Amino acid sequence: MPERLDELTMARRVVAELRPGQVVALGAGLPGRVPEAMPPFATGTAPVQFLSESGVLGYVGPGESSRPGAGALVDSGGNPVALGPGGSLLSLGDLAGMLRGGAVDVAVIQPAQVSSGGDFISWTTAATPGIFAPGAAVDLAMGAQKVIALLPHTGSDGTRNLVADSSPLTDGRNCVNLIVTDVAALRVTEQGLELVEVAPGWTADDVAALTGAPLTVAPNLREMTLAWNDADADAATAGKVYPDGPAAIADLPEGATVMIDGFGGPGGMAHYLLVSLRDQGTGNLTIISNTAGIARSVNFGTPPGRLAIDHSILIDHRQVRKAIATYPVSPSASRPSSFELAYRRGEVELELVPQGTLAERLRAGGAGIAAFYTPTGVGTLIAEGKETRTIDGKDYILEEGLRADFCLIRGHKADTLGNVVYKGTSRNFNAVMAPAARITVVEVDEIVAPGELDPELIVTPGIYVNRIVKRPEDFSAYE
Amino acid sequence: MAQEKVYASPETALADVFEGAVILVAGFAGCEVPRLLLRGLADRGVGGLTCIFSHDAPANEPANASANESAVHGSVAQLVDKGLVRKLISPLPFAPGAGGVVEERWQSGALEIEIVPQGILAERLRAGGAGLGGVFLPTGVGTRFERGREKRSFQWGEALLESPLKADFGLLSVAAADTLGSVVYQGTGRNWAPVMAMAARVTIAEADRIVEPGGLDPEAIITPGIFVNRVIAAE
Amino acid sequence: MVAEKERLEREVVAMRVAKELPDGGYVNLGIGIPTLVSNFIADESVVFYHSESGVLNCGPLAEEDEQDIDLINAGGQFLQPVDGMAFFNTVDAFAMIRGGHVDVTVLGAHQVSARGDLANWMLPERGVGNIGGAMDLAAGARQVIVAMEHTDRQNRPKIVEDCTYPITGKGCVSLIVTDLAVLQPTPEGLVLKEVAPGWSAAEVQELTDARLIIAPDLKEYEL
Repeated sequence: MPERLDELTMARRVVAELRPGQVVALGAGLPGRVPEAMPPFATGTAPVQFLSESGVLGYVGPGESSRPGAGALVDSGGNPVALGPGGSLLSLGDLAGMLRGGAVDVAVIQPAQVSSGGDFISWTTAATPGIFAPGAAVDLAMGAQKVIALLPHTGSDGTRNLVADSSPLTDGRNCVNLIVTDVAALRVTEQGLELVEVAPGWTADDVAALTGAPLTVAPNLREMTLAWNDADADAATAGKVYPDGPAAIADLPEGATVMIDGFGGPGGMAHYLLVSLRDQGTGNLTIISNTAGIARSVNFGTPPGRLAIDHSILIDHRQVRKAIATYPVSPSASRPSSFELAYRRGEVELELVPQGTLAERLRAGGAGIAAFYTPTGVGTLIAEGKETRTIDGKDYILEEGLRADFCLIRGHKADTLGNVVYKGTSRNFNAVMAPAARITVVEVDEIVAPGELDPELIVTPGIYVNRIVKRPEDFSAYE
Repeated sequence: MAQEKVYASPETALADVFEGAVILVAGFAGCEVPRLLLRGLADRGVGGLTCIFSHDAPANEPANASANESAVHGSVAQLVDKGLVRKLISPLPFAPGAGGVVEERWQSGALEIEIVPQGILAERLRAGGAGLGGVFLPTGVGTRFERGREKRSFQWGEALLESPLKADFGLLSVAAADTLGSVVYQGTGRNWAPVMAMAARVTIAEADRIVEPGGLDPEAIITPGIFVNRVIAAE
Repeated sequence: MVAEKERLEREVVAMRVAKELPDGGYVNLGIGIPTLVSNFIADESVVFYHSESGVLNCGPLAEEDEQDIDLINAGGQFLQPVDGMAFFNTVDAFAMIRGGHVDVTVLGAHQVSARGDLANWMLPERGVGNIGGAMDLAAGARQVIVAMEHTDRQNRPKIVEDCTYPITGKGCVSLIVTDLAVLQPTPEGLVLKEVAPGWSAAEVQELTDARLIIAPDLKEYEL
């Protein structure tokens, strides 16, 4: 048989599959070599962002080995790595949400076995048939848009790692899209495995002889591609920074669901984007927010003679059809908010949600959680029409995740990759909403270059932010 | 005056760990494993423990493959070696086929192991810490992890019901803590600690640095002191 | 007339509640009388305040000229920065509450029932109300104390056999402190434990809709 590819060359085949701007999650084992296989790039640029199941986003190749234990930066296999510009850190809870929420473009895993239907078994051996160690592979394979299995074509004892039939004990069902081995690249199709590329010197027959599943051979079978394709690099890095508010929300459609934070006072609210949305006039909106605009009717430090900008400006402009909110009306009946007046006139609908339930529903939306049982609201009006269930002697109600088309958030600073830091209590709902929308637009005081924000301080990683706008310096939160 | 959160030693911080306790052990692939507390637990010698943890050594050099060496540093493998552990719940309890004490005890039937994929484990711990009764996750649909779980269809597809996990004690290793228990991490040392701190009734952190209130940037604190009950100084 | 007898000041009610807060405990204070409680913590004890706005170990209210829009409490009031505070997002704020990490919450109420049902989010005559964090606090805090006036503005009893207003939580209230009395909802009914100086159990009953069980060791308000 001809020579097999070494690990780094296999990793280069994976690199050839990646595209600029992608978020690529790497599992333990061989996938750990992928960052090393990336070609060198100009300082300060990050063509793809690697995500490790150890809780780091935006790392680059092997790093300095720091002292064991404390302060280390390791990849999924525990190998020291270095943080790239604009990289950030995650707890494994945040990571789990990121994977399930669908924010990852490509996952690369090393399973023990892949079936012709794209099922995989993570890690087991003949010596321990009853035990298996999926680590994060199950999450990686489930959450990513595209899954690449990177593994040796056969085991050291000659066992075939690509098999025809899937086992009922699979760790992932019908999820692998591409298989890269030390002798070939194969696509998983509806009809089974298709051999698309072979290692230098290998023929389709050589590969078939080592494969435990039937193969179809692609008509354009070729030698393994190993080059990074940066054709659309410019488009991908063209950037998230928009010139102004109107440009950043120009495609926000009629009838959209829009998340906009707002706690008590003027802090933490994307006033500039709110004004842009009012000026754009888009109507029939459903807004998801904490209040439905009470800053205008309650004095939270508003200068005399002026009006605070809040959700009321959209309501007064007849752009809102419905609000999903926790604190929709002013605390005082004698100073009704615009929303309350519109509600009394029957112009707007209201879905009233407890604050913690709203936060949890938004987290669920962003983190790919379908539904959850919460004790909040049991026995109240909130429970009407919902399943109530007793679990371990305590009553809970079932609440479902919540997502939106657009999210307008207020940060303090962002880098050009979309990493955001907040200020004080203005973090509150902004950080929870950002992952839960299809398009998240952030309004900040300052935009900086990647690497200028302390990675330990980044609250919302750029993976969740699509567009960035600088709030004009002379912009006032009051009219 | 309120009970001081800073304890003098692992012995004092672990004094009320009881027979049969459920213990969360943070750390990922050898990064920020609470070695001092694990050694303290081995010294204390209470048995019947359930340990919930990820791998406490790099996957390519499992702690259990060199039990003697890891015994010096403190590890879950050391607790297993001393016969103090009844059950492990982990996404990656040992490298299959790599040998070591965890695999040996499991093969001999002396140790129970429950495998939970990493993201499901993280979410079950968070549910426990956040007071949720259960979460429906899409993870594991169509796989072996469906077994014994309720499956339902929701707006975004099928999902499996996962139950919350809580524990009696949580052990963390952290970069710095203030005397009110608020904690910051460094690098991937963050890993399991934030969710585990929420899910344990008593969370104990071994900190490289202990500072007075105000010594940590309030914007940088990842785990607020409400989740941390005891702090000891790492040597 | 019982209704015209002198009642305790709001500050005294707050002072009585302050005695219930555990040293070293994590406490969430609602709006109204509850906000005043922080002024009466004994010098020798420490209480850590949690706010749904996303700050722990938060300090006192800020002076007029030191207002920072990025440092507020759940009521939208401005706070002073203090050493040891920590910021977090809303989902973490409520994980703390529902997860049982907040020891005590002190809330105001429109009505409380004999079995500890709480109604504090909507007055039916307004037709719309604010839930905010109240339902999560009612369901999640380890202990819920209600601090309020004993009767409403029309002098109708706020402590009732069964709530007629929409409830916030069922059976969640463990102690009621009013300007007339300290009462404890129990499965057997409402126990009158303390009365304001100059008030008798019979007089308190007159202004209470729920039937009172008089504690064998009924005392005058202990401050």
